[in-house]
Amino acid sequence: MTSKRKLSLRVVAGMAVLAMTAAACGSSSSGGKSTTSGGAGTPSTAAAVVPTGGILTIGAEQEPDCFDWVGSCGGSSWGYWMANVATMPTAMTPAKQADGTYKYEPSPLLDGAPTFVATPTETVTYKISPKAVWSDGVAVTCDDFAYTWDQIAHGKDIYDPTGYNDIAKVDCTNEASPVVTYKTPYSGWQSLFGSGYGIMPSHLLKGKDRDAAMKNGYTWSGGPWFASWTKGDNITLTPNPKYWGDKPKLTKVIFKFEADTAAEFQAFKSGQVQLIYPQPQLDVIDAMGAGIPNANTLASAKTGAVEALWIQNTHFPFQSLAVRQALAYAIDRDAIVKQLFGKVGVNSAVNSLNPYVLTDFSDQQAFSKYKLDLAKVTSLMTGDGWAKGSDGIWAKAGKKASFELKTTQGNKRRQLTAEALQQELKGAGFDLKLNFRTAADLFGKDGPAGNFDIALYAQQVTSIVPGLCAQFCTKNIPSSANSNTGQNWQHYSSKTADTQLQIVDNSLDPSAQAAAAKSADDILAADVASLPLDPLPDIVIWSKKLVGPVGDHAILGAFWNANEWGCTGGSCT
Amino acid sequence: MLTYIARRILYSIPVLIVVSFVTFWGLRLAFDPLQKYRGQHNSASILPVQRHRLGLDKPIYVQWFKWFTKAIRGNLGVSDRTNNAVWGDLIHHLGTTIHLVVWGTLISALIAIGVGVYSAVRQYSIGDYTFTGLSYLGIAMPPFWFGLMAIVLLVTFPKTHWNLSQPIFYSIGLHSSGQSGIFNLDYVRHLALPVATLVVQSVAAWSRFERAAMLDVLGADYVRTARAKGLPRRRVIFKHAFRNALIPLVTVMALDTAALFGGLIITEQIFAIPGMGRYFLQSLNAGDAPALLGWVLLTAIILITANLLADIFYGVLDPRIRLG
Repeated sequence: MTSKRKLSLRVVAGMAVLAMTAAACGSSSSGGKSTTSGGAGTPSTAAAVVPTGGILTIGAEQEPDCFDWVGSCGGSSWGYWMANVATMPTAMTPAKQADGTYKYEPSPLLDGAPTFVATPTETVTYKISPKAVWSDGVAVTCDDFAYTWDQIAHGKDIYDPTGYNDIAKVDCTNEASPVVTYKTPYSGWQSLFGSGYGIMPSHLLKGKDRDAAMKNGYTWSGGPWFASWTKGDNITLTPNPKYWGDKPKLTKVIFKFEADTAAEFQAFKSGQVQLIYPQPQLDVIDAMGAGIPNANTLASAKTGAVEALWIQNTHFPFQSLAVRQALAYAIDRDAIVKQLFGKVGVNSAVNSLNPYVLTDFSDQQAFSKYKLDLAKVTSLMTGDGWAKGSDGIWAKAGKKASFELKTTQGNKRRQLTAEALQQELKGAGFDLKLNFRTAADLFGKDGPAGNFDIALYAQQVTSIVPGLCAQFCTKNIPSSANSNTGQNWQHYSSKTADTQLQIVDNSLDPSAQAAAAKSADDILAADVASLPLDPLPDIVIWSKKLVGPVGDHAILGAFWNANEWGCTGGSCT
Repeated sequence: MLTYIARRILYSIPVLIVVSFVTFWGLRLAFDPLQKYRGQHNSASILPVQRHRLGLDKPIYVQWFKWFTKAIRGNLGVSDRTNNAVWGDLIHHLGTTIHLVVWGTLISALIAIGVGVYSAVRQYSIGDYTFTGLSYLGIAMPPFWFGLMAIVLLVTFPKTHWNLSQPIFYSIGLHSSGQSGIFNLDYVRHLALPVATLVVQSVAAWSRFERAAMLDVLGADYVRTARAKGLPRRRVIFKHAFRNALIPLVTVMALDTAALFGGLIITEQIFAIPGMGRYFLQSLNAGDAPALLGWVLLTAIILITANLLADIFYGVLDPRIRLG
């Protein structure tokens, strides 16, 4: 995206922290499919004996802007996948389940599950493992939790303090057992001190300028690896001998920055890198479809992303529900997805605005009734007072059903998608114009200003906290009331949806959250608040010399378990 | 000479002022300096403070003047993207681009001059036609295509076809991990293809200039006179014709080379070289206005300096040209 998908990813404040992938950061899931070829898929190599030693070089499509993960410069998902996950201890971690969904589980940092009390005041009591130490041998303590909270909740220029600013205090009476008390209920408590940020070492950072100390790299670690950053060239992971969990088997993991997907692919074929995690671009998908010698490939649709047609609900002609529904019936979404990703086994569109990883908190079939049906298009449009002109385009009161689709420029897959949509909509009597924008313009200007009719881009969750209130609640329509910071760029407004979405945000009862989330999904589908399209599959391609449980993690990226990988014969090249 | 240089430097000051103002104004229109604060929970209170701190509540010329007075003292501000000083980031990236520019220009100049002189001296020979055809081919090949083809044919194909343990050339970065320096084979194997990508374009254009200039000079009266006096052909070409034929090429080379410092955007992107071009691209994608302003200013200074150097070099090549 970016941008991995370097991702250029921008987290949306709110309960379900969503990120827009400018360059389509990669992942997604539709229908929950996952295909592996070449033998060494996740389960098969996991059981094999993994040798120790060897250097693995990975192609990285994005260089992070900085290593100050909580600062405003720290939003790069590639930075998160490469260095944050490798070095920052977390309390709870999103663990992949057998069915491909994710649930929060205690990480190796904790000695068992935390104690959660919902009433009268939301309180979480963690118990830190006595084995947990920083790379200098100092124990991880409650002070580290308190310091992390203080920095994020009260610091300047913080990337996203959501949740941390709901905490009243972190009680360190027992250094091995932080007690976190909330001043306002926060249902996503499991994501705090967790994925995205992690926990920072108080004894090394307290009293210093955190941003200055971390932004260009740091020499400490609380994870399995140290991460050293040679700017412009690579990030290199080396084992942290003090790590108390599974120690790395590889001597070194080198992430070489290569932003050009085509060049990255050649670097893989020539053995300069032995693993790539590319955006699902057409050339990569074509190559996977044709087969790549001496390589294993994985295409996972069980991801944390949804690429959708985000509709501006107050723009002509979409202020009419009938027109929005007609639009949904005018597009053969399954055919488009099959055309884009069929070669890697992803053949059907997603049917929820929530990604697959939030299956438990969504109705993944909410939009399934919207299939190509031109008779329904005609019925809806004529019922709304439209008639086709001599050019075959619907018109009403002298105005044609003509609108614009904006998407990011320089992305061949999105261009193909837009052109396919244009073709299909023309056949249904709609005039779609295409406008390719820079990521900075689309996400920095057009989106916040609501200056689009339809926008095509992906949103990716960075945690498994449910909820779409940030994107669809009335209170989050950009306005002076929220200093124009609201993320409901669609300007969608529905009292019934608001009610359900706020239950998802505020309830501390998971079953009530799940029920409200499913209900909200159904309301959004009935209103066609936007139209989900594809899951933006995660793709991993790796050399057969690399062994171990290589696979994708929709939240933590593809390298989260690199400490369990090894090279056949001690060399991955 | 010193007076001339001083005067040229003085002339360049208004150019820099205009360039910086137009750029500053354009970037203020294109990018929102407060964008990074808009998504924060306390943005309502942060925005007015930051608006005042950044001087956005002042007229554009006041904002520019404040920035410019700092810039001329070496303070180009802080990058919105990296939180580092823009000047430090620029110097880091410029240092990398220098590798490409120095080697690319040196090799291109040698080849282009050789080809140009040969083509002029052997006009309409098979060699001349061959070089002419290759030049047109070089000019017609976009760097992204040539770069990728070079990777496919010179990196991937030999490695996979002959089952080599390592590729002959590398296509990522300037060094392998753990390597550094410029006097080693690893550096050469990394630099070969990006430099080749640059050289193909430069040689194609420069050799045509040199050929045309050389043909002009070879037809001049003083060259005919030198020949009539019975001077050896080699001496006529290299002592009397070649030096004068360099003058037009020097202008082109100086400006082209200076422009290269601004960014070999495509070449650096394909070969993963963290130079000025990639810095520009990353800053543009992130809407990092302070970085873009610094980049434009530095590039403008390099261009103006190169132009000045070209003018000075005229005097060296042709004593009839008096500077001052």
